[in-house]
Amino acid sequence: MERSFKKEVQSLRLGDGDTFHGEGILAVTKALLQSGVSYVGGYQGAPISHLMDVLADAQGILDELGVHLETCANEAGAAAMLGASINYPLRGAVTWKATVGTNVASDALSNLASAGVKGGALIVVGEDYGEGASIIQERSHAFAMKSQIWLLDPRPNLTTIVDMVEQGFQLSEASSTPVMLELRIRACHVRGSFETKANRQPEFSRRNVLENPDFDYGKICLPPSTYAQEKQKIDVRLPAALDFIREHQLNEFFDGDKDDVGIIVQGGHYNGVVRALQQLGLANVFGESQIPIYVLNVTYPLVPDEFVQFCAGKKAVLIVEEGQPDFIEQAAHSYLRKADINTTIVGKDVLPMAGEYVAAVLQEGIAKFVEGTQPAGVDTSTVVDTVARISGYKAKAAELLGEPVPPRPPGFCVGCPERPVFSAMKLVEQETGPFHVSADIGCHTFSTLPPFNMGNTVLGYGLGLASSTGVGPNFGNRVVSIMGDGGFWHNGLTTGVANAIFNKDDSVLMIFNNGYTSATGAQHIPSTGTNARLEPTGQDIVSALKGVGVKWIKRVRTYHVSEMRKVLGDAMTTKEGGLKVIIADGECMLAVQRKKKPVDRKAVADGDRVVRSRFGVDEACCTGDHSCVRLSGCPSLTIKSSGDPLKSDPVAHVDEGCVACGLCGENAHAATLCPSFYRADVVQNPTAFDRMVERWRRRYISWLGGSAPATGDVA
Amino acid sequence: MSVIEQTDTSAQTPVVTEIPEAPVSILIAALGGEGGGLLTDWVVSAAEQEGFIVQSTSIPGLAQRTGATTYFVEIFPTSASALNGRLPVLTLLPNPGDIDIMVASELLEAGRAIQNGFITPDKTTLIASTHRVYATIEKAAMGDGRTDTTRIIAAAGEMSREAILFDMGKVALESGSVINSVLLGAMAGSGRLPMKRETLEGVIREGGIAVENNLQGFAAGFDLASAKTSDISSSEPRTAHKTTVLSPGALAERVDREYPGPALAMVNEGVARLIEYQDAAYAGLFLDRLDPVRDFDQANGGEDSGFEITIEAARALAHWMAYEDVIRVADLKTRPDRLPRIRSDLKAGPDEPVVVIDFLKPGLEEFCSIMPGFIARPLIGWATRNNKLDSFNFGLHVTTSGVFGYSMMRFLAKLKGIRRIGHRYASEQALIERWLLSVKGALNLDRHTGMEVIACARLVKGYGETHRRGSSNLARILGELIEPALAGSPTALADQVSKARNSALADSSCAELDSTMATLITK
Repeated sequence: MERSFKKEVQSLRLGDGDTFHGEGILAVTKALLQSGVSYVGGYQGAPISHLMDVLADAQGILDELGVHLETCANEAGAAAMLGASINYPLRGAVTWKATVGTNVASDALSNLASAGVKGGALIVVGEDYGEGASIIQERSHAFAMKSQIWLLDPRPNLTTIVDMVEQGFQLSEASSTPVMLELRIRACHVRGSFETKANRQPEFSRRNVLENPDFDYGKICLPPSTYAQEKQKIDVRLPAALDFIREHQLNEFFDGDKDDVGIIVQGGHYNGVVRALQQLGLANVFGESQIPIYVLNVTYPLVPDEFVQFCAGKKAVLIVEEGQPDFIEQAAHSYLRKADINTTIVGKDVLPMAGEYVAAVLQEGIAKFVEGTQPAGVDTSTVVDTVARISGYKAKAAELLGEPVPPRPPGFCVGCPERPVFSAMKLVEQETGPFHVSADIGCHTFSTLPPFNMGNTVLGYGLGLASSTGVGPNFGNRVVSIMGDGGFWHNGLTTGVANAIFNKDDSVLMIFNNGYTSATGAQHIPSTGTNARLEPTGQDIVSALKGVGVKWIKRVRTYHVSEMRKVLGDAMTTKEGGLKVIIADGECMLAVQRKKKPVDRKAVADGDRVVRSRFGVDEACCTGDHSCVRLSGCPSLTIKSSGDPLKSDPVAHVDEGCVACGLCGENAHAATLCPSFYRADVVQNPTAFDRMVERWRRRYISWLGGSAPATGDVA
Repeated sequence: MSVIEQTDTSAQTPVVTEIPEAPVSILIAALGGEGGGLLTDWVVSAAEQEGFIVQSTSIPGLAQRTGATTYFVEIFPTSASALNGRLPVLTLLPNPGDIDIMVASELLEAGRAIQNGFITPDKTTLIASTHRVYATIEKAAMGDGRTDTTRIIAAAGEMSREAILFDMGKVALESGSVINSVLLGAMAGSGRLPMKRETLEGVIREGGIAVENNLQGFAAGFDLASAKTSDISSSEPRTAHKTTVLSPGALAERVDREYPGPALAMVNEGVARLIEYQDAAYAGLFLDRLDPVRDFDQANGGEDSGFEITIEAARALAHWMAYEDVIRVADLKTRPDRLPRIRSDLKAGPDEPVVVIDFLKPGLEEFCSIMPGFIARPLIGWATRNNKLDSFNFGLHVTTSGVFGYSMMRFLAKLKGIRRIGHRYASEQALIERWLLSVKGALNLDRHTGMEVIACARLVKGYGETHRRGSSNLARILGELIEPALAGSPTALADQVSKARNSALADSSCAELDSTMATLITK
């Protein structure tokens, strides 16, 4: 794993009345243990990757409580795991990333929701929307509505989040319905504090096992049960949920003296709204707002009578609902209409229908609302002036800067093993002509950014090969599909490989075997060799490929650009039909360095012989054409002003970050670039032999008029 | 400010605590893998230790993966106990117009923060490092794609309450620490952090990693910030300025006698370069070629423009005449100062051996470059026809720091003596003469057109395919555009030349040049 939580997980042991300090994700884990879960699982992905990492590092604590942790094959597996709560009083929680995860989980999720649950079932969804998001922009809300799953969107402070986790389980049990907890990126990473309770031993667990399997045809998703289940959702579970939400006041009302207007807000946006109000002079730092606020910590189901009660007697209400469609706003209209209340509903007409509700957006939206509705006793002009002043600054800045600053998207890390493969692909394209690339989800998706700009489509995780089956036959050139080892095990093996063999598709698949799901933080996968508990698993990609009937399999070290270029060239041109799979082997460089650095440091300290390498560019040889950069894009291969008055363009330069992966040299050869690159090996703690050789070399070279040995004498 | 009384448990006498009206908002913009997360943790831990109410969050995105990342901290500088149960609502969204301290670990990211409206003159103290970490699109340009940061620096001063700017990368390097400890020091030194210096240093100590270096970095940052440093000089100069003095002799006298003061530096540089590249005679040829340009410049108001034409022509001509061939490369890689330079770059200890491996891939062209024309021309002609120019390249890993590798390189370097009989020499000189002819012709039209044609020499650079492309692009622009125009009665030639040149530099395939030429020729 990229990040270790070994230290932090100790706070999962905190008892009644202790104070927890830490990240949101860790707080959620603590809340799960306080709720007495019997099992947890999920599939990693920002922003909830760390939840999986924390659980893995907390193995010891989980064992003490008898809690089972499953690092699932994918989100469908995680959702299916919740099946344990259908027949038995077992509390369970799973987690995954946003709508992309829910998409994969949908099959199991719909069946789970239809059957209903006996034990509390909680799904922690990391909503990946807006700044920092790495996926398509959609709402989880629609899933909750279509399957009748309850959706929690707590105020983003640890106390409320933890409270909603605990209440979520009760709500789930009270209404026999699975519950989703929606946490946005910033909430997952929020660091704060809350007062803890002692962890709860689950009633049934590995320590106290169930005796009798329960059979109930009513819980099976076949007719007539399915008809009954749908009715039950509406006639029994929904009312039960609404009662629970009302009784336990999961939604919150905050009064204000300017009560001819009001604001209804998704819990997750409460803090942002309060800050905007404060900036507009309508609230203080303690959230004491002049305008009444109705906070939806539960955004589905909505409680109609709470809406009616809040809106009654107000001339206008602003609904702050991020994303589209505007489900809550539409619902509010119908609630008020049915109750024959004429409060004006303002929402997407002053706030954008699409896009994240960042501070500036909330500020301007609320200001427009106030300006438009003129609440009694509010000085509208100051509100308007404040917003004008702040947006004025931004305009001024743009004017001063002239042109917009260049973007800085994420890219392949220093020494990333995946970069060389795309260098090779670029070179192959020079021979075969351009070809269509079915890209996939993973670090390798960065190939679509400069300098490579490779990858024509991205259809989903592990779907690189599957997404080539339609387009492939329509091209003269073969289509190249990309798949990471993460995507391969997530579903690529069946959806992609087995299917391509089954349909006798003639195409080329490049599998990046870097050993982990690296983009999500280097979590283990079957081909890592060990699982999250570091137990050996004895699974590998090649035998899986052979098992589903792949004949043409080649393994190439990613850093060998020339060889990769040749093998890919063969795969593209060979007469042989069918699927041709190239496994690009190269361990994630972040993982390698994490292991290597401490070892080297110790070795040097112990006086062992250690060779430290770095690449370099001879400034005088470099002509400032930068084709090396266009073929690599490595962060440590950069540029600097030329020290030569005759050269106006900057020259290439390798900075201290270089890990000597070798790509620069490989590219210089494979592309016949230029002779500017060199590799320098520094021998630390040299042996007597090293010293002798060095001595003779220096003597010889200085005798030929080369470097004088003055620069440090070899003893 | 509301004031409430509170009995401090530690002190006997009741102390008066002021309740702030707003938290201290801190936005940190960093690059993935730079340790912005650690910096944030330091700030939060220090605030917690002083009993303040604090919240932080981040958009790490793919933080390790080199992209721009932001961290956001809000500190309410009073203890919960002083608030009688009330708690401040701290936000997760950085609010334009509400940021007290903006920290940027790199200059372009400071620019991004300004652009996003987070830095406002009424409130924000900007703390930014002036060093540059270039974005890929800046690095990948075929010429110079670097952003002009002068506007960012100007905007930083204008848009902030105060701007603390200096090269924190350099300071970190000097103190053997990492940039985030310097940034933390600068934040403390700015006087806008509510935490005490000792508390912050204590947090670094508790970290337990590279403590002493980080404390040094912290101290350095603290001092520079409390001195309200705004030093933008340390950001690297875009072009090199150095004055070469020629060793006394005929050439030195000739330059001094015949060339105007402003041009001396560049002409001397050129002469010196070509003497070490080939010999005095070659440097003389350089001056013979430059003389007519200088004459024109002097006769046409060069005085007023600081003889820019002479200077630019000298730069372009000298750089081209010292073209990089096998001999040159071997020579450069066996210079006495090379190994020492590499040793110091790698901070190799005095008794640590350093092995240097060079990656060379000579082929047919390199061979032909030193062969006389009557051998080379048919070979290259044949290879070009059969598209085999790159077919005979063989990759070499030459250990230049070793006996065999060094000897081989040295031998190649010695071939300098026969360079003039080589095919490459002949072809380069021919193209140079052809270019000079057009330069003169263009100068006779007007200075501006002359400058544009001079600038075209930039197209010829690189090795192998890159060099072939560059030379043929120049030959094409000369043959299809400039020469015909000069023969006839040209209109707006300067503009056309710069269009053609820029499109030749725009992409490594010649697609853009093709289209541009098409439109220009049809005119």
